[in-house]
Amino acid sequence: MDLLIQILISGFILGAIYALAAAGMTIIFGISGILNLAHGGIIVLAALVAWYTSQHLGLGTYLGDLVGIIASIVVTYLLYVLVILPLERFRHISTAEKHVFQLVATLLVALILQGVLEWFFGATPVATPPMLEGVVQIAGNNVPKNSLLIGVVAWVVLIGLWFFTSYTRLGKAMLAASMSPKGLAIVGYDIRKVHVMVWGIYGLLAGVAGVLLASFVGASADVAINLTAISFTIVVLGGLGNVFGSLVGAYILGFLSTITAFLISPSISQIPGLVLLVVILYLRPQGLFGRH
Amino acid sequence: MSILEVSGISKRFGGLRAVDGMGFSVQRGEILGLIGPNGSGKSTTLSLIMGVVRPDSGSVILDGKEMVGKATHAIAKAGMSMVFQHSRPLQRQTVLENIKLALLQDSLFQFGASRAVTDRAIEVAERVGLDKVLHQRPGSLPFADLRRLEVAKALASEPLVLLLDEPFAGLAPSETREFSELAIAMRDAGCAVVLVDHNVKAVSGLVDRIVAMHAGQKIAEGAPSEVTRNERVQEVYFGKSLGAVGAARCREQAIADDRLLSVAVESVHYGRAEALRDIDLHVKRGEFVSVVGLNGAGKTTLFNSILGFVDYAGDIQFDDRSLRGRKPAAIATGGIALCPETRDLFSFMTVRENLEMGGHAFDANTRAEQLEWVYGLFPRLRERAGQKAQTLSGGEQQMLTVGRALMQKPQLLLLDEPTLGLAPLVLEDISNVLEKLQNESGLTVLLAEQNLTFALRHSDRIYLIETGSLRWEGESRRFVEEVGEDIL
Amino acid sequence: MSNVNRSPQTTGPWSRDWLDWRVVLTVLFFVFLAFTPLFAGGYYLGVLTIALYMGVYAMNWDLLFGYIGEVNFGPTFLIGLGAYGAGLCNTYLGWSVWACIPVGVVAAMIGGLLLAGPALRLTGPYFGLVTLVAVLILSQLIVTFAGYTGGEIGLALRDILTLSSKGNFYYALGLTVITALALRLIVRSPLGLILEAVGQDAGATEALGFSVTKYKVFAFLVSSFFSGLAGAMTVFYFGTASPGTVVAVVMAVQVIIATIVGGRRTIIGSVFGAIFLIVAGELLRPIGQLSNTVVAVLALLVLLLAPGGFTSLFGSRKERKA
Repeated sequence: MDLLIQILISGFILGAIYALAAAGMTIIFGISGILNLAHGGIIVLAALVAWYTSQHLGLGTYLGDLVGIIASIVVTYLLYVLVILPLERFRHISTAEKHVFQLVATLLVALILQGVLEWFFGATPVATPPMLEGVVQIAGNNVPKNSLLIGVVAWVVLIGLWFFTSYTRLGKAMLAASMSPKGLAIVGYDIRKVHVMVWGIYGLLAGVAGVLLASFVGASADVAINLTAISFTIVVLGGLGNVFGSLVGAYILGFLSTITAFLISPSISQIPGLVLLVVILYLRPQGLFGRH
Repeated sequence: MSILEVSGISKRFGGLRAVDGMGFSVQRGEILGLIGPNGSGKSTTLSLIMGVVRPDSGSVILDGKEMVGKATHAIAKAGMSMVFQHSRPLQRQTVLENIKLALLQDSLFQFGASRAVTDRAIEVAERVGLDKVLHQRPGSLPFADLRRLEVAKALASEPLVLLLDEPFAGLAPSETREFSELAIAMRDAGCAVVLVDHNVKAVSGLVDRIVAMHAGQKIAEGAPSEVTRNERVQEVYFGKSLGAVGAARCREQAIADDRLLSVAVESVHYGRAEALRDIDLHVKRGEFVSVVGLNGAGKTTLFNSILGFVDYAGDIQFDDRSLRGRKPAAIATGGIALCPETRDLFSFMTVRENLEMGGHAFDANTRAEQLEWVYGLFPRLRERAGQKAQTLSGGEQQMLTVGRALMQKPQLLLLDEPTLGLAPLVLEDISNVLEKLQNESGLTVLLAEQNLTFALRHSDRIYLIETGSLRWEGESRRFVEEVGEDIL
Repeated sequence: MSNVNRSPQTTGPWSRDWLDWRVVLTVLFFVFLAFTPLFAGGYYLGVLTIALYMGVYAMNWDLLFGYIGEVNFGPTFLIGLGAYGAGLCNTYLGWSVWACIPVGVVAAMIGGLLLAGPALRLTGPYFGLVTLVAVLILSQLIVTFAGYTGGEIGLALRDILTLSSKGNFYYALGLTVITALALRLIVRSPLGLILEAVGQDAGATEALGFSVTKYKVFAFLVSSFFSGLAGAMTVFYFGTASPGTVVAVVMAVQVIIATIVGGRRTIIGSVFGAIFLIVAGELLRPIGQLSNTVVAVLALLVLLLAPGGFTSLFGSRKERKA
């Protein structure tokens, strides 16, 4: 019983963090058509910067988190301007090859990020100090208040994202861009501006995922690739470009990993996800909710 | 015995019956023309015969052998060749290499270059007129040469049956003549040619027989002159047979010569193809002007130029300001609303959300007012306000497209083929709305249409566009007398 | 027969002309390489040996990507199968090196057929995903069955190719030259034209009468043959087989970068790219941890500024942009 509660709570929180990470990746794919393999690197960057600012510089967790998120947004825009945009402008390369170049370029950025982060922050996993101290009793288990707060914050951001895309002008424009870029242009939206905004939101989501991760389990440079792979799996599982799909996929994967880690062994917690990915690719490549 | 016998082939795409029980036969040494308006299933029929798309039912017999169910490459090896609507050369290879490919065997064991293949490729190139550009890559070739290359590839294997999908699209008149001569030469050499095109005039002059299609079915077959005069064929192309084309519009008061839109486009190129040439037209404030012409004539390109989606040489003035170089979003918010042929709705958003996207530039109150007004014009949209756009019927989607455009409070409304694929009742609805709009708000409209009846009913003036240039312009009431049957 | 100019002008990508000055340069380069053991010590030869094997991996990646247009994100799936196939055979069956290598090759070719299946059905990024997953699954399998495979630490083999660094260098060089010649023969032949057609527009090529399936499977088999061969020889060079040296995703990335940086669709360019990557990595070793990062930065710059890779730098401006 205890184990079940632990699994439920851990899986719930992990799923929420995964969902945040995957949502950003899937939005970028749906609107820009880019599969960003440096994704994990950006998340870890946010986590490590948050740790450094809060712990090492002693400025406290909240300020640390803020700085981490800002770092994520800055690096995301750098990626967009220095790598993504120049690649889009290549004339003599076919579209199919361009996709490969984008993938390889983002992969290189991932390697660069990982190398730089490892050099700056070392390879030992670090975590930010908890935002809230103390524990809470849930069904006879001690659950850290910090963990609950993390889950709450993750969900608040997810709900905020939903609210943004459903009720605000800019959010709807973003949604519309993934459905019909031409339609958006003919009603008078500047597609370029929409793209810039989307990348900013991506940086924000990745940043929040990173700082929450830093608080929940900690992070280190070498988990970046894993995070990319996990986000990737979730995005494909849920359907490329579908945020709701990513949410569902995140929870499926989150619980699968948690259950495997608790019941079998943490070291092979990635395998069920991989197997699931292969099954999906064979049976339904467009994912659970994909439309293309 | 016919070299090619097609019978009862059908294909459904989801709910749409693209081809429904088509059948015809072609002899050796014969050219058969397959005509029909946009969306009638002509290209799909060719794809079914070539095996690129698999028929749901029916049979395609080539030289006595059944082809349905075989892989495309097997059908090609059996003697069927196709020239696709859009050129598909290998961009990285030269013209000579492209033709050589068509001459190679389907075998893994070809490690040595063969002089015979090269010689034959050069022969084929000379036959179609590509001998001067043998070592150039498709990227540097003019449009007509790319089409010649497609023909060369198809001819190289000396097929029994040659399928040509819109061979004349994008060609200048002299080039059209040249391609016609190639087709005739193929026929005279014993090949059976099936030719699909929108340019009914060019087709009529070339073919031995015509089969006319509509909504996936055969509606007429016979000699060119018979078929083009067939009432059903005319009805399908123009909305009503020319003898019964509706009355042209007549205004009580003449419109002031206050030009809202002035187009002076010298040329527009899509890659290598010249899509438009010397287009001089204008629309006065409050006027309803139509640009009529068959598909591929250049109507959509014209609209894309006005909105700044494509580059052009020349100038377009709107409200006394030049639109050149401005971004589509700026032009749209500047007072021009487009209803594209492809509608471009936000499929997963509701009707209401789509409409509100149209009015995004206004404050909430103005937007709400506009929404009410649009619902008033299209009550059906109000009924379906909470439904996702992709679940609407074709007619409702068209209404939504127009509604969204109206939400922009435009000065000029561009309508691109709104009647395409719509049932007569829905057409009636849209017609009424347009009339109401003109009468009540004096909205300026530029309509691009194939459906003459629809165009004549609403327009003050008409421009006739054919293969990228203007052929006739004038008041609606003079159109039938002066142009009339010539259009087909 | 008219007076048509039959020979093409000497423009266009590297891969087209035999008596090009660049071909001559390449041959000279390989001749120079052949003489290096005369003046270079064991350490340098070792680096070059690794670089050459990497070059073979990359050339085979180029065959799939540059020619039939299939992006393989897990070339190390094939390499790893070849490596472990041969390695396990040697450790548990005790067969000699030259008996085990063909086993590795066969294992790799079976892997190639496994990948060819999805390649025919999936398009775009989805096939890439499958290849990546294949690598991840293989490395997980190796780690999970560590009892048999030696897991992450590696499998110690009974035999090796040779103790001499000169000998190993020549084995690697020999394999590189043979692979390069074989692949060049294929891509420059009419068969190569068909392969390129399949890669650029499978539908149109099908309509010209070619069974696309046949050519894709062929390309996968050839690529897996040489990849497996190289993988098998590599483990007998090292004397051990471990995921880090023959399966890891990091290595897969190096293979891909080697080709793109060297010049895709040239076959030979991959060798130059591989030599650059490995040698640069070694030269930068003194700066420690950041050496991989610096190499990645250099590779990214090449990709953004000269997407046609190194070989395109020896061509016209236009080639560089392609």
